[in-house]
Amino acid sequence: MSGIASVSFLARRASQRERVRILYRRALRDTLNWAVHRHLFYPDADALRERFEVNRKVEDVETIDRLIADGEASYNKWRHPDPYIVPWAPGGSKFNRNPVPPEGIEILYDYGKEEAELV
Amino acid sequence: MASALRSAILRHIRIPVTHALSANGSRLTALRLMSSHDDHITKDEVIKRVLDVVKCFPKVDPSKVTPEVHFEKDLGLDSLDTVEIVMALEEEFKLEIPDKEAVRIESCEQAIEYTCPLSFD
Repeated sequence: MSGIASVSFLARRASQRERVRILYRRALRDTLNWAVHRHLFYPDADALRERFEVNRKVEDVETIDRLIADGEASYNKWRHPDPYIVPWAPGGSKFNRNPVPPEGIEILYDYGKEEAELV
Repeated sequence: MASALRSAILRHIRIPVTHALSANGSRLTALRLMSSHDDHITKDEVIKRVLDVVKCFPKVDPSKVTPEVHFEKDLGLDSLDTVEIVMALEEEFKLEIPDKEAVRIESCEQAIEYTCPLSFD
């Protein structure tokens, strides 16, 4: 019985771990959205890390759940309305846009039929 | 008929082939070096760039970094440091890694595997 309990405990801790990592990742990206220059971003990122480090030693599972929920709420509240997207990623300004071919190159739609038409 | 037309056209057109090619080629290589968005990087280059990013991370001892190194077990980083490294990799390669995939990258090997384009070797 205690084996099952400890397995479920470990599974819960693992899922909490993943939630924290995803939260930190999203928050760090959002920091980069708000602070567009590196010299502004680094202090902000350090402050964010500090907010996570404060609760590093917390062991109680319920408290951790509450802290994560608080963190997610805070992240959602301060989320950037127009985040940076890598230009060629989905949603980016260059997504699915292909450059025009260089001068002198054209697409032959009748490939292989040229001779047949001329004859 | 076709060949006559072709030679008639060719007689009137002068293209400095070698010059155009070399100029074009050198411009391309210059772009290659500067551009981080390149689908044609080799696996060696990917490994080198991934390792450079990991070595530049302040908490990492550069001499310990090898292509097989695990961030948490071998380099003594914690999970949030790993998140930071993955973000640095995303910026290096101009990638957008989905969250679920990104939290699974925990070693140099996985990072190289993820960032490496389809390779034939």
